[in-house]
Amino acid sequence: MTKLLSVKDLHVDFATEDGTVNAVRGINCHINPGECLGVVGESGSGKSQTFLAAMNLLSKNGKARGEINFKGQNLLDLPLKELNKIRGSSISMIFQDPLTSLTPHMRVVDQMREVLKFHQKLSGTEADKKCLEWLERVHIPEAKRRLRQYPFELSGGMRQRVMIAMAMLCNPDLLIADEPTTALDVTIQAEILDIMDELRREQGTAIVMITHDMGVVARMCDRIQVMRHGEYVEEGAVDDIFSNPQTEYTRMLLDAMPRIDAPRDSETKPVKEPAKDHFLNVDNLKVEFNIFNGLFARKSVLKAVDGVSFDLAKGETLGIVGESGSGKSTLARAILRLLSTSEGEVSWLGSDLIGMNADQMKKARQDLQIVFQDPMASLNPSMTIGSSIMEPLRIFAPELSREERRAKVEAIMDRVGLPKSMINRYPHELSGGQNQRVGIARAVIMNPKLVICDEAVSALDVSIQAQIIDLLRELQKDMGLSLIFISHDLSVVRNISDRILVMYLGNVVELATSDALFDNPQHPYTKQLISAVPIPDPEVERTRKRLKLKGELSSPLDSAARLRFMPSKSEVLNNAQKSDYRPRLIDHGDNHFVAEHDPIETLLVNE
Amino acid sequence: MLTYAFKRTLTALPVLWIAITVCFFVLRLAPGGPFDGERPMPPGIKANLDAHYNLDKPLIQQYAIYIGNVLKGDLGPSFTTEDFSVAEQISIGLPYTLILGAAAFVVSILLGVLAGIIGALKRNSWSDHTLAALVLLGLVIPNFLMAPILQLIFGIELDWLPVGGWGDGSLRYLVLPVAVLSFPHIARISRLMRGTMIEVLNSNFIRTARSKGLSSTPIVMRHALRPALMPVMSYLGPAAGYLLTGSLVVEQIFGLPGIGRYFINAALNRDYGMVLGTVIFYMIVILILNLIVDLLYAWLDPRVRAQ
Repeated sequence: MTKLLSVKDLHVDFATEDGTVNAVRGINCHINPGECLGVVGESGSGKSQTFLAAMNLLSKNGKARGEINFKGQNLLDLPLKELNKIRGSSISMIFQDPLTSLTPHMRVVDQMREVLKFHQKLSGTEADKKCLEWLERVHIPEAKRRLRQYPFELSGGMRQRVMIAMAMLCNPDLLIADEPTTALDVTIQAEILDIMDELRREQGTAIVMITHDMGVVARMCDRIQVMRHGEYVEEGAVDDIFSNPQTEYTRMLLDAMPRIDAPRDSETKPVKEPAKDHFLNVDNLKVEFNIFNGLFARKSVLKAVDGVSFDLAKGETLGIVGESGSGKSTLARAILRLLSTSEGEVSWLGSDLIGMNADQMKKARQDLQIVFQDPMASLNPSMTIGSSIMEPLRIFAPELSREERRAKVEAIMDRVGLPKSMINRYPHELSGGQNQRVGIARAVIMNPKLVICDEAVSALDVSIQAQIIDLLRELQKDMGLSLIFISHDLSVVRNISDRILVMYLGNVVELATSDALFDNPQHPYTKQLISAVPIPDPEVERTRKRLKLKGELSSPLDSAARLRFMPSKSEVLNNAQKSDYRPRLIDHGDNHFVAEHDPIETLLVNE
Repeated sequence: MLTYAFKRTLTALPVLWIAITVCFFVLRLAPGGPFDGERPMPPGIKANLDAHYNLDKPLIQQYAIYIGNVLKGDLGPSFTTEDFSVAEQISIGLPYTLILGAAAFVVSILLGVLAGIIGALKRNSWSDHTLAALVLLGLVIPNFLMAPILQLIFGIELDWLPVGGWGDGSLRYLVLPVAVLSFPHIARISRLMRGTMIEVLNSNFIRTARSKGLSSTPIVMRHALRPALMPVMSYLGPAAGYLLTGSLVVEQIFGLPGIGRYFINAALNRDYGMVLGTVIFYMIVILILNLIVDLLYAWLDPRVRAQ
């Protein structure tokens, strides 16, 4: 078989102020017509740069050496004019962040048309027809209307579909997908992957799938190439690599990946009755935001958290999962009073947290801490990490001397695995994982009772992710911490949580122990979420069936959207009743609570 | 869109009122009045004059009368130029000021944007550095110095252009004043434009456009220009203000018969009506320009339109 694209001894160097950075160091690889090659590796492995180099899309200070052959031409030597005939026509590319990858001020149709005009000299109705046809092929609902819309009017998943449609307009031989689903929710990810798989089968388009997610690879790819620090690690058929990895690094990557189908690896704590524990009790909590459209327009109310109740026991870990817009982060912030609540009660150690005055609240904060998602952005860039960690001491323990404080900071740095020598470094000098350790050190230095981790590991590579989770577990054991662990990643949550709360548009749809939720999910939405998560095992993936439910995640502004899983109720209620009705949580016994819903059979998409 | 424009105009009215009020009282705080000359006037005549122009009434009553007149669209009489109302004087000077200001405005935008794009595309080349040096000159040399220098070079040494005056109103007479007036704005706009253009060219959607095989002309003109213009747009409102105040000086230096001259004379002579009238007129012009800028924003960014 002739190779479609082959990369020979590729080097990519970036000229930076600190000297030359060799991002890719002598990579060889190839892709056959019609196959799907997975290119995996952690951040900094050079996996994206390799293919950006092929498309001549490196940033200005980047330089590629070597050979990238496509149909007998070396792409690296081609003059821009010749290369432009290939880009977007026989090779096209889609990117990670669909929110920023489309030109914001141009209608979808105008962005698609220019591809046809440039490569195929098509215009007018003929071009429009083709654009519409492709939007329909990537299953965009109401495709005709979408053509006239601007990117900001579309959801993230919709935008990624537009990107794919645009990339496929000229029937490319090769589609390079650079982390195409990383920024998307799992259910949307599953749909996008299905579309790409379909295109490959129907059009014979070869796909390069650049990803860090072994689950996506297992789901999509024929062959894998593993990279690390810009170098080749190993390559092989997907089944061989998964069942018998040849290198230590690949094995580590596979092991570090939390699996949704694996039981948790720590001992399960028996569930007591958390309500009677008087540790943290949240009752009917509501957070509403007023949205003003324009200066004089009437306001609309966004119910970000819409009556959530749960109890947390001392020493327990509660996982909160949900897709974007489900209100999980808002809930966390409201509990800590980082946001004001509109209704409901939070009781902390038996006293009312919402009603506390500033002094009482300050005292309580010592025990209530939070770790945020983006480790770099949540640390003050102008403070050394030492002073960031020390700050709680200055507030809560002003009686300590300088030396005592420093000793405490060094001790906690040691505890979270940061070398003491880093005490005077700044956040930008540290890696993401190290910065997150700083965030954790800052949170636990006062020996808090509760730490909320708001997507605390989502921005990290899997190997680092595993280390941070281990660290959190150890700290929990040593200090008797309670954790609320918020994440969109179900596999991670399963791994760490005793109980899990599933949220949908500000409401709780299911609350159960970790094992019960994954082994015996009751709510259709939970079932759909679990089935959408790819499992890093190609054999399992091939036989798995994904649940497809009617409708899609709608806006929390749409009050009727809560009844998505109860169409029978939605039919009998009028509009006013619809916006008031909340599906009730029903006790299924054994601490398993499920929101009311119609039987799942009536909710499935008929295929 | 029309309702949006209407709402914006409504919100501008209180701003206008506050500005008039502040201006009215601050002017009266300044020592002296319209009829104080080097030689004191006979008290009888002064009393008559004061009565004629309502200056003998309590300040608050004068204010009420003035606001009442303004609401009727009457800017009142000029205190020092007999037989002329403020509105008449403004309308005499207006065409000259408008032509000068509009020309400088257009020239600033066109040259500023163009220079900014060139600077961004040829980053750190000699053309970028030359532009940066010119920009620095434009920013540090004040217009009352720039004007005589240009007059000296182009008007006297080279004798290419008239040194001043309106002449027959041909383009030749406009070149130097417009150049002096627009130079600092070309400088600022080009810097702004260069910075945002570089930023936009590094953004993800430009990468997408490149991956589609588009060449650099459509990428810059169709994909990058509009988002890069946004910060320039927000500068245009204030720029219009600077242009108007700048035109006071430039009109004076080049001997142009615009409103600027009346304004300066009026301020020196405590011609309350004339100063207030001109201020109101300038503010209305600036408010209208800001409104236009806001509407342009909506054109540049569909998200603004949707709100």
